[in-house]
Amino acid sequence: MYQPKDTSSYSFVFNRGYCTLYNLFIRNWKIMSESVVNILNLNVRFKDKIVLDHLSWNIVRGQNWVLNGISGSGKTTLAQLIETPKGIDGTITYNFDKNSPLPRQVLYVSNWYHFRNLEGDANFYYQQRYNRKQARDTLTVSGDFQVFGKEKNLDIADADRIIDALGYRELLDSQLIELSSGEHKKLQLIKALWLKPQLLILDQPYAGLDVASRKNLNTLLEELSSIGSQYILITNDSSVPNNVHMYAQIIDGKLVAADTNNHHHEILHELEPLPEFLTEKPVYHADQVVKMIDMNIHYGEKQVLNHINWEVKAGEKWLLQGHNGSGKSTLLSLVCADHPQSYVDGLFLFGKQRGSGESIWDIKEKIGLISPELHWYFDPAATVFTSIASGFYDSIGLFKQLPYSQTVKVREIIAFLNLKDVQHELLNTLPLGKQRLALLARAIIKNPELLILDEPCQGLDNDQTQYFNKFVDKLCANGTTLIYVGHYESALPSCLEKRILLDKGHVVKIETIQ
Amino acid sequence: MANYFNSLPLREQLNQLGVCEFMDIAEFADGVAALKGKKIVIVGAGAQGLNQGLNLRDSGLDISYALRQEAIDNKRDSWKNATDNNFKVGTFEELIPGADVVVNLTPDKQHTAVVTKIMPLMKKNSTLLYSHGFNIVEEGMQIRKDITVIMVAPKCPGSEVRAEYLRGFGVPTLIAVHPENDPEGKGLEQAKAYCVGTGGHRAGVLRSSFVAEVKSDLMGEQTILCGLLQTGSILSFDKMLEKGIDPGYASKLVQYGVEVITEALKHGGVSGMMDRLSNPAKIAAFKISEELKTIMRPLFQKHQDDIMSGEFSSTMMKDWANGDANLLKWRAETGETAFEKTPAGDVKIGEQEYFDNYTLMVAFIRAGVELAFETMVEAGIKAESAYYESLHETPLIANTIARKKLFEMNRVISDTAEYGCYLFDQACKPLLAGFMKTVDTDLVGKNFNEGKSGSVDNAELVHINAILRDHPVEVVGRKLRKAMTAMKSIKTA
Ligand SMILES: NC(=O)c1ccc[n+]([C@@H]2O[C@H](COP(=O)([O-])OP(=O)(O)OC[C@H]3O[C@@H](n4cnc5c(N)ncnc54)[C@H](OP(=O)(O)O)[C@@H]3O)[C@@H](O)[C@H]2O)c1
Repeated sequence: MYQPKDTSSYSFVFNRGYCTLYNLFIRNWKIMSESVVNILNLNVRFKDKIVLDHLSWNIVRGQNWVLNGISGSGKTTLAQLIETPKGIDGTITYNFDKNSPLPRQVLYVSNWYHFRNLEGDANFYYQQRYNRKQARDTLTVSGDFQVFGKEKNLDIADADRIIDALGYRELLDSQLIELSSGEHKKLQLIKALWLKPQLLILDQPYAGLDVASRKNLNTLLEELSSIGSQYILITNDSSVPNNVHMYAQIIDGKLVAADTNNHHHEILHELEPLPEFLTEKPVYHADQVVKMIDMNIHYGEKQVLNHINWEVKAGEKWLLQGHNGSGKSTLLSLVCADHPQSYVDGLFLFGKQRGSGESIWDIKEKIGLISPELHWYFDPAATVFTSIASGFYDSIGLFKQLPYSQTVKVREIIAFLNLKDVQHELLNTLPLGKQRLALLARAIIKNPELLILDEPCQGLDNDQTQYFNKFVDKLCANGTTLIYVGHYESALPSCLEKRILLDKGHVVKIETIQ
Repeated sequence: MANYFNSLPLREQLNQLGVCEFMDIAEFADGVAALKGKKIVIVGAGAQGLNQGLNLRDSGLDISYALRQEAIDNKRDSWKNATDNNFKVGTFEELIPGADVVVNLTPDKQHTAVVTKIMPLMKKNSTLLYSHGFNIVEEGMQIRKDITVIMVAPKCPGSEVRAEYLRGFGVPTLIAVHPENDPEGKGLEQAKAYCVGTGGHRAGVLRSSFVAEVKSDLMGEQTILCGLLQTGSILSFDKMLEKGIDPGYASKLVQYGVEVITEALKHGGVSGMMDRLSNPAKIAAFKISEELKTIMRPLFQKHQDDIMSGEFSSTMMKDWANGDANLLKWRAETGETAFEKTPAGDVKIGEQEYFDNYTLMVAFIRAGVELAFETMVEAGIKAESAYYESLHETPLIANTIARKKLFEMNRVISDTAEYGCYLFDQACKPLLAGFMKTVDTDLVGKNFNEGKSGSVDNAELVHINAILRDHPVEVVGRKLRKAMTAMKSIKTA
């Protein structure tokens, strides 16, 4: 049974008579055992698959939960329904504290945030943030905070504290559209912590945060519950706040709760031998895959890349690191031929000066790419099969009839990754880990010269990350060139041999990894 | 200068109106080869100019921008657009003489002035490219005989041109060669190559003529695309206020309703849109739209007649000469409508609710699409051209209303479209006054099905379905949509 750790209210009680103590105890006990959300017999099916099966969950006021367990078990679905119980089969009863000044609502912060502009228009497109003409359509981050604060009647000073704790200050002047997906998610997190709803649900809050921000997030969450809010974290991470009371998993569509963390690790099958066509060495057009001589990129007044010199030779395995906003994604967009400012002297791709008559498709043909942005803007109508097949054409979705020889390869890779039973499902309905595997398959299907994996494990848990990286090691054994972007803390593939470190648009270190 | 179309004998008028061929992808096998290594200079770096240029450069072509001196000196947006993206920028005098292809992407109103200025600078046997044929057809601009004149007209706003290219696709495009200016016979090859450079060849290309493009483009934008969407939106909103529906709700229903409803057009045409209604609502929408077609047909015909005779363009050009007096007046009036001034309320409206509670708009759209299509075809425009300028573009324009209401729509579309839109709106509102008296909240504002039994007469439903599916706009639409199935779907709020 849950025991309140905070005893201040009891010491206060002792100064009064026994009778008051008793009354107060009863009152407190009632408040404590009263539920803020009570779920009864919730059922969710997705096509033929049962996701939630008569799930019941009593979330008592003041209790903080961690929801963990294997991906695809229904955690995110459940969390979304608690926030917006639309058209549900079952009942969800809310019982917010009417005496509390905190907003009487459940707020869910998703792992994968889709940016909309002021008008609620989500109709942005891949790489749009590099297009100067459209960039000015959106607010700045600080403008966004002001609008939100005014709308919700919040104190700006309070936001400042949270912004600093999560290391967000540097981004205040950025246009919303210039933010990376990880930065957008952090923005949502800050707003949620600022609003302090009575129940806060955070989906994979630690993904994409550095060590300091993680610790600070935990402190903020601990504070939050001391003033009458409470939280549910969806995470398999073990470094959670100190005041988590309960752990739960969804097993076979039902909630299984425990007061200690004993989640089962995902049982991931051993990797089979790779399909034959992926073990062949890629055909290189030049020894030098990327070369940058004194590259500079600016948006208006803001310089995002400063005097970059960098060379990647065929077959090398690079790790690219730097804080959020250090210029990593801009650097990669130059390599992927996505940046409109790449038509300058000093950029050579696959042995050729950029802008010497090649099209971006001539370059993309030699690159396999995964990035949060690509994933984010991927065609919502694409199935697993068509997503993977589109890798042959570097398009975001498949617009062509696939020749037989290519169909065979797609089938082979689908079988290899155990995606056969979901191959005709829409990509974006799968659990995140599976979506990433499918996108990795898309990136490698043509056996490219250069593989670019930009935070490929963002949002994945430890087990999934390990599995993913093992796969990468195996793939790159054939001599593929690799540029891998990974956070300092996250586990990395072991094949990486060189590291380039960016800070505020400068290269601060190039070194060999021991 | 005389109206080019009017200078032609009837035989030739019909001949040029009838140029319309849906091109096979195999015709684009040469890619951008015909323009490779050629100096392409774009005049104007606005919505079309910048985005077409970005795509062309990304396709390996040599692009620079010629801007007017003031734009460079004052570092105007056009200058920033081009320089921030590392394009070479210069004055007309600096860049035009070296150009193999000059692309005129300034506003239509400026074309005569711009072309008059650049023509003497253009080198012998170079090419002049437009994205809209107004200047050539309506103003009768005469181009030096050694210059090749072609058109590549993407049927989408500039931002879509870029977005679709980056995902490896493109937007449907019309291409044409001006028969008076093709001295070396290279026009078509260059237009095709340019179209490949913008990505248009992947989404379906229609071989058209300057005449067919202008006459159908004007008709579409004045009637169904902009005019009727504006009239329908304002009348629907006013009706809801009159009947006591919450203004915030009404504003949101109208602002986002057109987008959600027309999204269905993209996938299944008019019948696909009608299928989103319950059976009783569909029958009601069918009957109302028949009535609307009868009331509005003479107005659609008048617009088409005025476009064909040149009456429309000469009236508009008088307004240009008069400092845009009418355009500015009508623009201000639109800004003052109750719909424009009432912000959308903070209410959730589900996707299906937009259909169930806004049956009236479904009826408006069916009537407008079919009428515009029928009127164009009657006037000698081919079905494929008419499809692009009616049904195909409606969801794209509706998307702009969802963004920032009619203000945004009229900002994004060209001045010519805006002028024609107001002209239609002024005439259409009084025409529909009597009809609107018969409309109640079951058609707009509340769920049509509420309190009604769901039963319908089988024979009647089958009959109506057949009429909807067999309409010529549906027949040609089914064929053309196959080539465009991969168009990005617009996500709605
Ligand atoms: N909008 C559409 O959806 C669409 C679709 C298909 C085709 N089109 C056609 O594309 C063409 C361009 O339309 P748009 O919408 O892209 O226009 P826009 O956004 O208004 O851009 C016009 C550009 O032309 C420049 N300009 C204006 N007057 C000029 C002059 N006298 N001399 C030199 N430059 C001048 C402007 O720059 P400064 O003012 O800074 O000098 C600006 O960069 C038109 O023919 C239009 O019909 C448009």
